Amino acid sequence: MSNRDVAVIGVGYTTFQALTPDVNWKEMMFEAASEAYEDAGLDPRKDVDSFITCAEDFWEGFSIFDEFTPDQLGAVLRPMHTVSGDGLQGLASAYMLIRSGLCDIVAVEAHSKISELLTFEGVVKLSFDPVYEAPLFETAHPYAAAGLEMRSYLEASGTTEEQCAAVAAQHKRNAFSNPIAGFAARIETDDVLDSGYLFDPLKKLEIAPRADGSIVIVLASGDVARRYAKPVYLEGIGWSSDSPWIASRGSDAPYAARAAEQAYRKASIANPQKEIDFAEVDDQFAFKTLQHLEALGLARPGEAGHLAEEGALGRNGHLPVNVSGGSLGCGHLMEASGLAKALEVTLQLRGEAGKRQLSNARVGVAQSWRGVPHGTGAVAVFSRRD
Amino acid sequence: MGFTDRFQKTTEPRHRLGAMEADHYIYSAGIAGEKFFTALRDRGIILASHCKACAITYVPSRLFCERCFAELTDSDDREVGPEGEVATFTLVRQDSAGNALPEPEILAVIRFGHETTGFLHKLGEVSPEKVETGMKVEAVLKPQEEREARITDIAYFRPVKK
Ligand SMILES: [Zn+2]
Repeated sequence: MSNRDVAVIGVGYTTFQALTPDVNWKEMMFEAASEAYEDAGLDPRKDVDSFITCAEDFWEGFSIFDEFTPDQLGAVLRPMHTVSGDGLQGLASAYMLIRSGLCDIVAVEAHSKISELLTFEGVVKLSFDPVYEAPLFETAHPYAAAGLEMRSYLEASGTTEEQCAAVAAQHKRNAFSNPIAGFAARIETDDVLDSGYLFDPLKKLEIAPRADGSIVIVLASGDVARRYAKPVYLEGIGWSSDSPWIASRGSDAPYAARAAEQAYRKASIANPQKEIDFAEVDDQFAFKTLQHLEALGLARPGEAGHLAEEGALGRNGHLPVNVSGGSLGCGHLMEASGLAKALEVTLQLRGEAGKRQLSNARVGVAQSWRGVPHGTGAVAVFSRRD
Repeated sequence: MGFTDRFQKTTEPRHRLGAMEADHYIYSAGIAGEKFFTALRDRGIILASHCKACAITYVPSRLFCERCFAELTDSDDREVGPEGEVATFTLVRQDSAGNALPEPEILAVIRFGHETTGFLHKLGEVSPEKVETGMKVEAVLKPQEEREARITDIAYFRPVKK
C-alpha cells in the first residue's frame, strides 16, 4: 500500500544552554544532524531527498544565511532551502514536500546561537514598525509589548497573576526531569510573584531566558516510515499570521486558534480536549501558555489559569503541558522553539522521555509563536497510531 | 579537535567581532502615512481610515483594509480623538540595555470607540499607580513649531480632567 502519510523517523539534538562558546553554529548543527541521521539509520548524502533550515538573518548575523547551511547538514549539491520562520513552519514545508510526492525523506533543522548576538534587544526593536511603533520604544525594552498583551489577556479572560506565576514555577520545575534543559529551578509560585515587575503585570521570572541549541527532525513518507520501529506520525499541521499592527490584535492569540483549526482538520481531530493527551505550547512568557491552551481549544476561555492552579497541567494532571520544561525551563530557542516542542512530543510518543515519560501518551500537540512583537504561530499534531 | 575538546571558559574561544551593516535605511511612510503625519503636524488631528464593509476604523489611517482587502480612499478618512480610552497599558521598568529606569515609562493602547483598532502610544501627566484600563485620556500634542510629522508629535496621552 503506497501512502503519503508523513512520519518522524529520526531526531537529533544538542543540549540547550545559555552559552555555547566551545562550538560554532555550524558545529552545533552538525552535532544535531549527525545524531538525527544515526537515529534514523540513514546516510544524508544518499538517502535524504531535501533539507530545510529555519533561520532569520538578523538572529544569525549573516545576510542570505541560507547559503551557509548545506555543508554541516550533508546537503551540499542537494535540494535545500531555508524557511525564515519558526521550526514548525519548516516542518510544514517538509510535510508538503512529502505529501506532494516530490520527496520521500526530508530533514528539517532549526537552531539558536543567540548568545553570539551582542545586541539582542536592538534586533528585536528592529522588528517593530519603524514609522509608527519603534519611535515609542526608544527607551523602553521591547518586551514591554508583552506586558501590554498580558494585561489585555488577563482582563479579557479573568486569569490572575498568581495563575501565570504558577505556570512559570511549574515549567522550571519540570525541567529537572529533562537532561537537555538549561534553566531548571526549584521555585514556587511566590518566588515568581516576588521576582519583581519588569513590564507590569509581567514579572522577571515569567520571561523565558535565551538559550543556544540545535534540533534536527527527519520526516519520511508512510511507505518508508513503516520500515522503522517507532514512527511517530505528523497527522496535521497548520500556521497563521495575525495583523502586524500590535494595537490591532485581539487578546486571545487568534493566530494559534486558526493554526490549530487547520492542523486539527488535517488530523481529523473533532474534540481536542478529548482526543489530545498532552501538549507542548509556546511559553516564552508564562501567560502565553494559558492563552495558547485556550486558543488551541484545550481549555475554555478563562479556564486554563484554573487548570494551572489546580495542578491539572502537571505531569500527573489530566492535561500535561510542557513536561519538557518549555521555553521557561529549557530556554528560549528563537526559531528553534517550535521544533523543541515537536521534539518533546516525538520523544513522549516514542516512549523515550526518560524520567518525565507520560503514561498513555498517544496523541500530542506542539505549538509555536514567533515572539514579540510578532503575530505568527503554528500547530502540529502527532500520534503513534498503535 | 573534536567534541571532546570543548572550551571551558567563554573568554578562551577564538572569535571575530563583527557588525551587521544595516543601520542606514529609509523607511517611507507611504501614501496613508503621508496623509496621517501631515494632518497631525499641520492640523493637530489624528487621522483614521474607515472601512464601511467591515465597520472598522483603522488608527492610524491606512491605504487598505486588512480584513476585506478593500482599498481605502480619501472619502474613508475619519478624524478620531483627541479623547480616547486606555485599552491596555504596561509600566516599563527596564530599558533596552536591561537597566532599571529611574521612573517607569507608561506604554498604552488607546481606543477611540468600540469600532476602532487600538493606537499605540505613551501616557504622561499621571502617576503609574493611578493608571487603569477604561481610563479616559486625551492626546497632548507638541507645540506646532516643534512638530516634525512624526508619531512623537503626540507627546503622550494624559487623563481627561473631570
Ligand atoms: Zn474591510
